[in-house]
Amino acid sequence: MSDLFNKIFTKEVLAKIDPVVVKYETRRAPMLEVLHLLQEHYGHISLEMEEAVAEYLQVSPMDVREVVTFYTLYYTQPKAKVRFNVCRTLTCNLLGAENIVKCFEKHLGIKSGAKTQDGKFEVKEVECLGACELAPMLQLNDDEYFGHLNEAKVAELIEKNKK
Amino acid sequence: MNMAEETAVKKLVKLTVDGKPIEVPIGTRLIEAARMTQEDVPYYCYHPGLSIAGNCRMCQVEIEGIPKLQIACHMEAKDGMVVHTKNEKVLKTRQHMLEFLLVNHPVDCPVCDQAGECWLQDYYMKHGLHDSRVNEDKVSKPKAVPIGPNVMLDNERCILCSRCVRFTDEISKTRELGISNRGDHSEVQVFPGKQLNNPYSGNVVDICPVGALTDRDFRFKIRVWYLKSGDSVCGGCSRGCNIQVHTNLDRPQHGTGRVKRLKPRYNAEVNQWWMCDAGRYDYKYHDENRVLAARKTGAQAFEETVLKEIAAKLKASKKTAVILSPQMTNEELYLARKLFRDELKLQHLYLASPKKDGFSDDILIKADKNPNRKGAENLGFTETPEKFESLFGLSAKGEVDGWIIFGQDLLSLYPKAREVFSKLNWSLFIGSNENETSKLAGFVLPSATSVEKDGTWTNFDGRTQAFRKVLEPAGEAKSEIRFLTQLGALVSSGWSAQTAEAVYQDLAAKEKSFPVRSYADLSGTASAIRVQAAPTVPSLQQYDNIL
Amino acid sequence: MTEKLISKYFVEGKTFSLAEYEQDGGYQAIRKALDMKREDIIETVKKANLRGLGGAGFPTGMKWSFIPQNTGKPVYLVINGDEGEPGTFKDKYILRHAPHLFLEGVMIASVANNVHKAYVYIRGEYVKPIQILKKAIGDATAKGYLGDKIFGKDYKLEIVVHRGAGAYICGEETGLLESLEGKKGQPRLKPPFPAVVGLFGCPTVINNVETVSYLSFILNRGPEWFAGLGSEKNGGMRLISLSGHVRNPGVYELPLGFSLRKLIYEVGGGIPGDKKLKAVVPGGLSAAILSPEEIDVGLDFDQLRNLKTMAGSGGVIVFDETTDLVKALTVTMRFYAHESCGQCSPCREGTGWIYRILKRILEGKGRLEDLNNMADICAYMGGTTICALADGAAMPLRSYPQKFRSEFENYIKNSEANSRVLQST
Repeated sequence: MSDLFNKIFTKEVLAKIDPVVVKYETRRAPMLEVLHLLQEHYGHISLEMEEAVAEYLQVSPMDVREVVTFYTLYYTQPKAKVRFNVCRTLTCNLLGAENIVKCFEKHLGIKSGAKTQDGKFEVKEVECLGACELAPMLQLNDDEYFGHLNEAKVAELIEKNKK
Repeated sequence: MNMAEETAVKKLVKLTVDGKPIEVPIGTRLIEAARMTQEDVPYYCYHPGLSIAGNCRMCQVEIEGIPKLQIACHMEAKDGMVVHTKNEKVLKTRQHMLEFLLVNHPVDCPVCDQAGECWLQDYYMKHGLHDSRVNEDKVSKPKAVPIGPNVMLDNERCILCSRCVRFTDEISKTRELGISNRGDHSEVQVFPGKQLNNPYSGNVVDICPVGALTDRDFRFKIRVWYLKSGDSVCGGCSRGCNIQVHTNLDRPQHGTGRVKRLKPRYNAEVNQWWMCDAGRYDYKYHDENRVLAARKTGAQAFEETVLKEIAAKLKASKKTAVILSPQMTNEELYLARKLFRDELKLQHLYLASPKKDGFSDDILIKADKNPNRKGAENLGFTETPEKFESLFGLSAKGEVDGWIIFGQDLLSLYPKAREVFSKLNWSLFIGSNENETSKLAGFVLPSATSVEKDGTWTNFDGRTQAFRKVLEPAGEAKSEIRFLTQLGALVSSGWSAQTAEAVYQDLAAKEKSFPVRSYADLSGTASAIRVQAAPTVPSLQQYDNIL
Repeated sequence: MTEKLISKYFVEGKTFSLAEYEQDGGYQAIRKALDMKREDIIETVKKANLRGLGGAGFPTGMKWSFIPQNTGKPVYLVINGDEGEPGTFKDKYILRHAPHLFLEGVMIASVANNVHKAYVYIRGEYVKPIQILKKAIGDATAKGYLGDKIFGKDYKLEIVVHRGAGAYICGEETGLLESLEGKKGQPRLKPPFPAVVGLFGCPTVINNVETVSYLSFILNRGPEWFAGLGSEKNGGMRLISLSGHVRNPGVYELPLGFSLRKLIYEVGGGIPGDKKLKAVVPGGLSAAILSPEEIDVGLDFDQLRNLKTMAGSGGVIVFDETTDLVKALTVTMRFYAHESCGQCSPCREGTGWIYRILKRILEGKGRLEDLNNMADICAYMGGTTICALADGAAMPLRSYPQKFRSEFENYIKNSEANSRVLQST
């Protein structure tokens, strides 16, 4: 195994990943899970990590790059601390998602898709998150859903996550 | 074989294509079946040497009984199928598929090298001819990205047929290319920091139907419609890939070199659709650093003068050594054998390779960098390094006093040769390109390169392949056959001018390992530089191999 | 009101544990199934008229009967939990509240098809449901309900949870398989179909989360009862996801064939402010839109197909009179352009092109020929591609201007160019 591999796949990381990988029938199949676990550990997926994953799964680096750029949940840049992913698809749009985005833009002083100067906050528009009954809604930090948003709730969310 | 045996070996299905009934082996895809009936079903992503992608959607045809159109590259022919490749529904669909591909296409034709051999241009003229309805901005992507030493990428021109990706996956197996992102932001890419750098990188330019992947070596050199094409065989190694030679003779304003580029020519048994980069990019020697005229002691001389003096030396003493090369054609080796061994009864005949063994793989490239070692061996010449080294001893002692060298740069290859060379009575260098040896040899005769003469080479597999001349020899150069014949006439009798093909027939009649066939038979598939949107497409016989 | 089957478990904030589920009568049907012949299980499901509830509506029993068991290769079961069709959010509830009900369904589907390894593919955004499901699998394994000898019988079954990573196209069955095999979720050429050549080249059953969740009910209470709950050839109940301009958006378990009008005005509580209804999307974003005159239809696969739309994933989106339909279509097409995998030309180029045309119309720069052009483009996006994403884009694209042409024409008539002319005269 190369130096790059050893740098990325530390004992701690392998302890998380090896038990998952053995469940799959081919070496390549756990690709998405491996990338998720690495992202959870390191925060985002760098080019070096892509190469190391290629070595780990015995595929070419481009095979990994294709996957990382195809799916929306993989970050290739360091993430902001607090991320607001606002749904922009049909029902949420009908119920005012564009307005919610504007609220965030106003309160945070950034345009949608960007991070604040201090790297703390990010607001992004994403496609349907499977929560149309909560429209308009967002996903906080790729985890919890918050729905029935309005200007007040937007301000509240920013305030609660300021620290 | 009786009927039962035949059907067992090759089960056939009967179907109708545009009203024409045909029979094809089971498993034949409709796209090949259509080709059999001379129907031109257009395609981009399909390539008979690569796996099936089915993504361009150009080859959709109508099959009676199936409501949706089906892609012909994937659909297998079945008994009783009735296929329509050019009814209104198919033609309209085709036109719309082409329109989709042109929605974001940058129409760089005036600055794009692919113009004139571009499948978008060709199919638009044949199947499109629509007015553009695009009133919005086109997607913008990276342009003029050098992704490797030989290949330039333009993502905007790319139609995402994935042929190049499949090539690096399946043929070169180096997997440098992939398609990142999704939707209309998809891009062919190499991994950041890495390059498209394998021994076969130039082939992706051949198979790219548009100007997305272009050859850096050929970039902006000349418009393809100014090029003429001739067929030949590559002499870079003992595989003998079949090639096309593209030349520019009429427009010197596009550079002095006559040969502009090489492309592979399809041969099912030798190189399929491919050739290696080493062979592809080694064409400049046909036009650079040539030996252009006969010389005597460094000064230009008449060819007859040189030949007469050499003939005299040969008649005078038997102490001449002849160093033949596995780069020579079978005809040249045969005549050399006839003259030097059979008639003049010279003892010191050697076969020496001007190139050391090099890189090889299990795709195309052979370690032996000579095209005709097998032919030489079949004619009785083998390379024995110890025996050859002994030549220098003999020459130092004076038992050999003259050398005839066929093209090798002996002085650079063998330091010992350098010491002995100056002590020789005389030396003759017959070769196409200047080198250390040619500069110091007493006599020099200019010979033709492989694209300037007819001849045959026998590859590592024992396959004898013929090639005809594509260009007139540069300067005063001539094929070795001419020189040998003239020498023969001067030292002996019964030597008259012959074409290379006639010499071959002579040799094949006498030597069992050479097949008695015409040059036409031994030349592989003929090809043109620009068959409508189907470069290097195999001949119709190739479907025989599908089972 | 009809009895609640799955939705009985949808209690706010509660996940039913293994013990609670068992106390409620859970994990009995699987025991029954383990003692049945596979062909009998399949026959039972066929009789129940259970249809695929992910969107295609394909009869589940029939799908299972296509699996070749004699290829020498293992048969895989893959559960499609990608739930990407906008307007749909029901599988999330099943996984959150009733993971064991779902797991029992997976077990039954596995036993029916001689499957010993099942993958559950859940969209990566569903973080909590994934955690809950993984815990449930752990609990079931600890109890011997999964593993080498499930329920003490000589039957091995392992379930692996696989997270998606954000791609609608991975809800397409062969896109899902590609994703499970560690690649981009780009759909495969069909034939061969997954039933014959699926995961890792082996025969594969692909079922939606909700579809398998009904299996225990069918085995416990009989296929005839289940079939009788619904309409003809559309057996049982389904979870309708109701959203948009309604007072009570949410998940409602209703019999197949339930009236759309009743859904909006009774179950859904009608439209806020008692505004007028403008249009309804009856089966997820890809379904053709319905006008108010068309809402007296039963929500089942056959009735909606007759109206040239589809029941699809059961996602019903209600538009009130204030809705800008041109905007709604633009947002819809933006979704498809963003989610197109990019493999084949009509979808890759067409979705992006249509979106840019609609954006232009929305911005006041529309032209008369745009409507005809879009209809023409739409006609060649549908039916010419590797998978049905382009068809999914084509259906709304065709139906909006077809049924609400005046809205589009107004935008074009009031285009910026025309306004300039009007102002100058």
